Amino acid sequence: MSTFLASGPNLGRGGIGAWLAGLSARGKALVLAAEVVVMLVLWQLVVGVLGWINPVFFPPPSAIWQGFLELWSSGVLATNALVSLQAWLTGFAIAVAIGIPLGLLMGTSLPVDRVVGPIAWTIYATPTIAYQPLAKAWFGFGIGPVIFLVAISAVFPILLNVAAGMRTTNPSIIRAGTVFGASRFQLYRSVYLPSTVPFLFAGLRQAVVLATIGMVVAELTGSAQGMGAVIIRAANTYQTDQAFAAIALVVVWSVGMTQVVTLVERWVAPWTRKARR
Amino acid sequence: MTTTIEPAEDEASVSSLISVRGLGVSYDVARTGKKLVAIEGVDLDVREGEFVTVLGPSGCGKTTFMNVIAGLVKPSAGQVLVAGEPVTGPGPDRAVVFQDYALLPWRTVFDNVKFGLEMQKGLKGDGWRDRVQEAIELVGLSGFEHSYPRELSGGMQQRVGLARAIVAEPRILLMDEPLGAVDALTREVMRAEIEKLIAATGKTVLFITHSIEEAILLGDRIVVFKSHPGAIKEVIETGLARPRSERSIQSDPRFLELRDHLWDALQGEATAAAVSK
Repeated sequence: MSTFLASGPNLGRGGIGAWLAGLSARGKALVLAAEVVVMLVLWQLVVGVLGWINPVFFPPPSAIWQGFLELWSSGVLATNALVSLQAWLTGFAIAVAIGIPLGLLMGTSLPVDRVVGPIAWTIYATPTIAYQPLAKAWFGFGIGPVIFLVAISAVFPILLNVAAGMRTTNPSIIRAGTVFGASRFQLYRSVYLPSTVPFLFAGLRQAVVLATIGMVVAELTGSAQGMGAVIIRAANTYQTDQAFAAIALVVVWSVGMTQVVTLVERWVAPWTRKARR
Repeated sequence: MTTTIEPAEDEASVSSLISVRGLGVSYDVARTGKKLVAIEGVDLDVREGEFVTVLGPSGCGKTTFMNVIAGLVKPSAGQVLVAGEPVTGPGPDRAVVFQDYALLPWRTVFDNVKFGLEMQKGLKGDGWRDRVQEAIELVGLSGFEHSYPRELSGGMQQRVGLARAIVAEPRILLMDEPLGAVDALTREVMRAEIEKLIAATGKTVLFITHSIEEAILLGDRIVVFKSHPGAIKEVIETGLARPRSERSIQSDPRFLELRDHLWDALQGEATAAAVSK
């Protein structure tokens, strides 16, 4: 039954869609691993072996690995990754600390929602890069503007998702709570808050990706340190292998953190687990 | 042709548990300044331990009627007395079973049933675990305590709704088309089980339905609603012996007589409703 449902648009067609939908967790991981290996091999073949593309513009995986080792052994990687990590974690913590309470307040109070909502959407809709020069002016050239850009990139998906979660609480469950005599406080604790949890985690996953973009954007110009600075310096000196190695590391961080968010969600909100493919 | 379908005698005595007097509910229609009359001039007395089915076409105000007794909707005219006290809001003497189950998706079966007790009576002492377990056993869900609602069929979810309603031992059970969303086969099985459960616990029941068979099979009395405005059209004693099995009753002349009578009554209502739209 669930196999059928999970196959989505492939319903009734069978074939590779049905096969993929029916895979176990281990099977899915194997398919993903095979995909990565095939891509790397093709990439290596096209650039490294056949030489169809100039490796300076698009280095093969083996060169990127070399670049990574160079960055690592020179100590450049550790110093800069630590600076980025510090900025990312601080900015993300600020975004969570502001986003969750303000989102709850927006979801609870219509006046707050009407005042904060349009401002939040406007800032959220503005490209992060537009704030970059301003952030330098406001916070100088150290870690300050990076933290600011990470925080402002991450706060809105959290805030807006939490507010939406509160507002879209199933009215029939609210009615059930009322009929069983729940007080206002009990309704919040036992109905509104748990129903917001899946929205919070959806917001956190978006926030992880946007925070990482904000971090790299902030570090690309005018920063002496951080992964963004490593990428731009390497690219400017035609050490594209090192630039790609730094980009890969940032991607691994971003994907890894979304996985961490998902793991925490499975632990905090086990009822959502069975719903996903 | 003689008929034995006589209006039931008015039981306006002190012994009635629920007493509805001149009840009216009307809403202001937004932006038109008009009033929409949902129900008007409803009088009804329900004895302790009586099973009353409320039958009517959709939109006749039968759910509004139930919501007033549940304490969810304030009457615009008249009043409802439960055990002699006017209803001012929800209370632990009344519990509701909803058509859409209205379970908390983040709670297991056990915790959903616990919710009824938690909100209505509080979880004092250590006896509450046994009470929750007892209610779960009573509706036949032993072994599913740790399942989440989405892992259960519609019929099983409604059993959880039923257990949640009876766990705090209310005197009155209000059931709003509880079998309206389950499949036909499950509906038959559950109808018989509800009858058995109510007979065993001696609860007073108000059961809303739009199914003629359901109204006859379950009710000691049938309250027929008419629409535009919603009001009581007639009240009929079923006078059928219990327990009533679906198969044996289908050939009972009294059942057939009631069914024909109600069919005519409702057909007139349905036609009137269609014309007035």
